[in-house]
Amino acid sequence: MDLQGAPRWELGVAAFFVLACSVVLWETRSIPPGTFEPLGSAPVPQATAIFIMLLSIAVGVRAVRRLSTVSDLSEPLDYQPRPLDALAVALITIVYVLLLDARLLDFAPLTAIFLFIVISLLARFGFKAMVGAAVAGAVTGWGAQYIFTRVFVVDLPGL
Amino acid sequence: MIDGLGGALSHIFTPLPFLYVFLGTVLGIVVGAIPGLSGAMLIALTLPLTFYMDPVNAIVLLIGMYVGAITGGLITATLLRMPGTPSNVVTTFDGHPLAMSGRPGRALGLGIAASFVGGIVSWVVLLLLAKPLSIWATRFGPFEYFTLILMAMVLIASVSQGSMVKGLIAGFLGMLVSMPGVDPSAGQPRLTWDWYVLNGGLKLLPVLIGIFAVSQIIGDIVSIGKKVDRIETSLSGMLMSLRDWRRQAFNMLRSSLIGTWVGILPGIGASIGSIMAYTAAKNMSREPEGYGKGSEEGIVASEAANNATVGGALIPLIAMGIPGSVIDAILIGALMIHSIQPGPTLFLTNGNVVWAMIAACLVANVIMLIVMLCSVKVVSQVMYVPRTFLLPIILVFCIIGAFALDNTMFDVWVMLGFGVLGFAMERAGFPLGPFVIGFVLAPLMEEKLRSGLMMTAGSIEPIFTRPLPMLFLSIAVILLIAPFIRAWRQNRIARRAGAPGLSSGEGDPTR
Repeated sequence: MDLQGAPRWELGVAAFFVLACSVVLWETRSIPPGTFEPLGSAPVPQATAIFIMLLSIAVGVRAVRRLSTVSDLSEPLDYQPRPLDALAVALITIVYVLLLDARLLDFAPLTAIFLFIVISLLARFGFKAMVGAAVAGAVTGWGAQYIFTRVFVVDLPGL
Repeated sequence: MIDGLGGALSHIFTPLPFLYVFLGTVLGIVVGAIPGLSGAMLIALTLPLTFYMDPVNAIVLLIGMYVGAITGGLITATLLRMPGTPSNVVTTFDGHPLAMSGRPGRALGLGIAASFVGGIVSWVVLLLLAKPLSIWATRFGPFEYFTLILMAMVLIASVSQGSMVKGLIAGFLGMLVSMPGVDPSAGQPRLTWDWYVLNGGLKLLPVLIGIFAVSQIIGDIVSIGKKVDRIETSLSGMLMSLRDWRRQAFNMLRSSLIGTWVGILPGIGASIGSIMAYTAAKNMSREPEGYGKGSEEGIVASEAANNATVGGALIPLIAMGIPGSVIDAILIGALMIHSIQPGPTLFLTNGNVVWAMIAACLVANVIMLIVMLCSVKVVSQVMYVPRTFLLPIILVFCIIGAFALDNTMFDVWVMLGFGVLGFAMERAGFPLGPFVIGFVLAPLMEEKLRSGLMMTAGSIEPIFTRPLPMLFLSIAVILLIAPFIRAWRQNRIARRAGAPGLSSGEGDPTR
């Protein structure tokens, strides 16, 4: 991975940090001053948020300056990146967690379905991979449910 | 010392603890050998399973994983030129060329032997230094502690990969993320936005799993099309001869000591240790031209140093409660989950746990040597496990791990949120290590500052009048300004030479 980071990502992340720290600073206004100790609860988060904002602005400015030159610096990859697949997996995962939270189905069948869909997607819906995905989903879903609830005695989401 | 260590060793050699060390080491090797999975990820995911375990068993399991994961990465670094863990990057420089020249067994054998020696040397230093250092640290007042942590934070940021400014941002962000919830010093909620689930703050485990495991899964899915070239693992020449041991002895010892020293420095970790040892070996070598082309000295230097950081990094953890690396930050979390407060009094309050950690470090190194020598051919096959199957299954285990902490779905959402944040930070070149260490150390740092200010009625004068706080603060300031001075000097030299400055970012501390 590029240690300098892609400038668009740098700019986006720096902007997010500035925004998040502004929200934090706004929230610290409602923290009352300390009564039994001199510092109180607000100054440390305030100082931390201000430091992050200042440093993020420096990174953001530099990212803007780099935006025009980065195309010359980036190296060609020997594979095709699949950002859309990552986005699809993220969305499917959100739906999976929402369904677990709603307890519409038990952990095991829901996990089996989730794994079947995600593995098939990552394997580009090849027939062999889909069969493997069905087996892996069932084994992991019911296997994990058995091991975690019976052996480790840990509660699982959706149960 | 003899009693403590003897007692811990005899305990570890009883069936259940030994099984845990063995299991941890083997799992660590296997996970370390899978590109894209790391020891930090394995340990973060294993933490929820240790809730109901005896603290000693839990900690020896995690130490085994720590030792195993650093060594397991050697296999992929050598055979695939893909470091299994970040600490094995330097091993790829010479391990892979030597393997490609038809001697993979030789490359692996040198790496395994060097890893073992590195682990043992750092263990000896751990054994000798941990207790005296903890006794010394008990004399620290709040300001000594505050400035020590401040220095550690700056040190972590200044040596983190990428840029110092980004390291500082990541560290401060980790600190900020640890602050929501009821303020322990004042007893009042802060940064909760009147949302009751935030009263308890953001817990370490969901944040850790998100930052290390989920972000890595997202990144691995993006690069899932990357092809892995197969290379046959031949075991011939794997065992080092007496002549080899004689030739490499000084290199091994020097690299191990460098690795141990780097490990002791808070937050730096194995990657820097192996780079420093490799550079030292190259500079002192009679055949520096062979480095990068399959040099045996290069493999030995890198592997001895990265394994030596394990024992070294445990020293500040045990003696002062300050993590020497990211995995040590997770180990601190593991101790706290079991209601054990890390710090200089750990030897007094939980001596059995400390001695078990030290003993487990030794036993795990011996197990690692035996397992690697006996089964490297089998272990090397796990490199080819299809990631299309592996990544979604790990994602399910992440969800289980985050949920198991308190049986709340809120923790799962926190984990997913930090997974996305971690991925974005990595893409933008922000290091994740300082974030985690900031998250772990911030509560302690704030507590020490505030208790110190209470003792002095709000005066920070002791920071400038006592020797240790002044020393720690001076080091922090020097570390902060050094990159800027270096950049200014480089720019000045470039200008004098008539070059148009360092516009590409070289010499720029914000890089």
